[in-house]
Amino acid sequence: MQIAKQFRALLYLNLASIPARLGLACTIVIGVACAVGVLVSMLAMGVGARQEAMGNVSPNRATLTSVDAPSPVQSNIAQDDATLIRNLPGIRRNAAGKPIVVFQVTIFIQARSRTDHTQTGFPLIGMTPGLRDYQPELHITAGRMFSPGLHELIASNKCVQQYTDFGVGSRRHMQGGEWRVVGNFDLASTVCLLFGDGDTILSAFGRNTYNQANVMLETPAAFATLAGALKANPALHLKVQHEAEIFQQNMAQLNGILDFVAYFVGAIMALAATIGAANSLYAMIDGRRRELAILRAVGFNATPIIASVVSESVLLALPGALLGAFLAWLLFNGLLTGPFGNSFHMAVTPSLALLGLGWALGIGTMAGLLPALRAARVPVTVAMRAA
Amino acid sequence: MFYFRASQVSKQYLKYLPLIWSGIWRKPGRTALVILQVAVAFALFGVLQGMKSGMDRVIANTRADVLFVGPSNQGGAPLPMSYFERLEAIQGMKDVTYADGLLGTYQKPNQVVYALAIPPTAIWVTLVPEIFQVSPEALEALRKTRDGALITTDIGKKYGWHIGDRIPFTSNTLQSNGSGTWTFQIVGTMIDREPGEAGLIVFNYEYLNEARALNKGTVRNFYAVISDPRRAAAMSELIDHAFSNSSNETTTGSFRENAQQQMRSIGDLNFLIRSVIGAVLVALLFSITTIMMQTIRERTPELAVLKTLGFGDRAIFLVVVGESLLVCAVAAVIGLSLAAGVFPYTAKFVPGLSMPLSVIGFGMLGAVLVALITAAPPATRAARLQVVDALAGR
Repeated sequence: MQIAKQFRALLYLNLASIPARLGLACTIVIGVACAVGVLVSMLAMGVGARQEAMGNVSPNRATLTSVDAPSPVQSNIAQDDATLIRNLPGIRRNAAGKPIVVFQVTIFIQARSRTDHTQTGFPLIGMTPGLRDYQPELHITAGRMFSPGLHELIASNKCVQQYTDFGVGSRRHMQGGEWRVVGNFDLASTVCLLFGDGDTILSAFGRNTYNQANVMLETPAAFATLAGALKANPALHLKVQHEAEIFQQNMAQLNGILDFVAYFVGAIMALAATIGAANSLYAMIDGRRRELAILRAVGFNATPIIASVVSESVLLALPGALLGAFLAWLLFNGLLTGPFGNSFHMAVTPSLALLGLGWALGIGTMAGLLPALRAARVPVTVAMRAA
Repeated sequence: MFYFRASQVSKQYLKYLPLIWSGIWRKPGRTALVILQVAVAFALFGVLQGMKSGMDRVIANTRADVLFVGPSNQGGAPLPMSYFERLEAIQGMKDVTYADGLLGTYQKPNQVVYALAIPPTAIWVTLVPEIFQVSPEALEALRKTRDGALITTDIGKKYGWHIGDRIPFTSNTLQSNGSGTWTFQIVGTMIDREPGEAGLIVFNYEYLNEARALNKGTVRNFYAVISDPRRAAAMSELIDHAFSNSSNETTTGSFRENAQQQMRSIGDLNFLIRSVIGAVLVALLFSITTIMMQTIRERTPELAVLKTLGFGDRAIFLVVVGESLLVCAVAAVIGLSLAAGVFPYTAKFVPGLSMPLSVIGFGMLGAVLVALITAAPPATRAARLQVVDALAGR
């Protein structure tokens, strides 16, 4: 009780003395603001990429790949297995009563942009008929859907923004044939997507296996039914994963790099902010030695003094974090960025601001600890000496 | 006469040194923290800017006159050997060579080795010496032995191989007789700086092509050396155009362009790097200025005594600036050395990457600027001090 009372009085005293030492207090606020601002803005890239890629993920969708394939690109599904897969249980049927299964083949194309002559890579995705049923959110913004059997492509609007020759009517040269872009569409993704007819692409590129089979489930719960059926039929050699899981796998590398850079730079900046804050607090304590000695002389304990200095440090760090997060939001939220051939908008979210507050709590506590100990150890004799 | 005066001037400044020194160590803890903070900031600057400039330099050092000609879709069919003559016939072409290879394992499935198959011609001596270095003698040895192979000293040490040994590999690339076992005789060494988990050996393309069951008469890719590196983009397009409308389309790019594409990631983060360095600088400038201001405030009586003893305003100003300069310079040296210490590790991922001297120079210049800016307000305050006020504690 006594300690709590002393703590309250001391904290009030500390805070009241801030205006007299505004410069030093501002140092803590600005240091933390810079560290948290940088951390939050860099993490906003990963969050933005995730948001944009996972925007339309549905629990109703699942993907079948070979059992041993580490990722869909390395998976193989024979064309002969198509009928068997279509008849698996748990798969939703479309209006015509057909199971919604779309086989997909992904081919990475290297091409030269005609404007700046740089090489670019993008995935060419072959989809068997049924794409409309499987991805009703695929929104054609210009032109029309590709027709099966023809050398026709549809390109996402990201392609149009990033590269040349993806608008409706453009012609692209691939595998000794001419392909016509007949439509543009919007779909959640951080990269340019190019869709064409699955079987046409298989034969054009001399392949005989799909990479994956995308299925629409009757209900999210039907996932277990499908997984059970695949287990009961080991000859198919297939496994099933939720759409979200596949997307997360695809994003893992980009996220890994972005998060590593963010935490690496953020940690170094936090270290610098901690050192700067500790130094400022030392200076503030030094300026109040007499006052602290008097408090010790009149019976204030070490514990509330330590607690009050650490609290003061944290109370200065928290507004710094809010300022940093606010600046990050002001400068970078919604900004289009394009690392590693991706393109997405950065997203500064409340959860990132909360994370920033957490870091500020850590910085404030660490920075306050040593100066607090010094404050608690001011010898009482200091109070007796003349200034 | 002149010499005498010059030495007197330097002596006049030298006498400030002990003053600067004692000023710095007046509060050792505070100075240590300031040095630490500045060092951390410059370490971050060194790593970020060093990576960026280092990558740019690696790209600039990569040959622009060597074009990599590969199949246009990854994992697609290999290119026919007949392209060799067609490439050589293109105007402006200096030299053409090619490579293929097989992935094998030695003794255990996890001991993966990539065997690169090349024609043992002299062009390989100068093709990419910064990554792949082979001597004319080693190539001559390879030419004499059909199943000969060159190894790196690293892989030799790892598996205990010596020149003259015969080593068997197991591979998915089958021989005409159905066997997946390839035996090589080690005839020499080469140097490989390509980053990667698997080891590398080099052997004769003829051996691979004659012995394999499938893909006879094809290569993985061609290397085309052109006479004018400035025409790299035009030549690349010419090559790709020549092979379009065939079932083996090509994608061609110079080594420099390919390096640029691989490292574009860092360039994309350029804006972010600049923002980070900006934030670091703002925090640093504010923090150091405030701390120095506080120090000067605490030292008011001492400074007043100095002034009473006859030190001029200018002298006091210089002492404060000197302290700041010394502290910042020492801290920047520590920070930039820390950053430079990181680079040997990154060279494992990007061959040839090292801390550019320009970044160190720029960093030191930055340290001087930081010192001057942060010292300006406290030094001005110290210089303007009125002795009477200061001693009276006003």
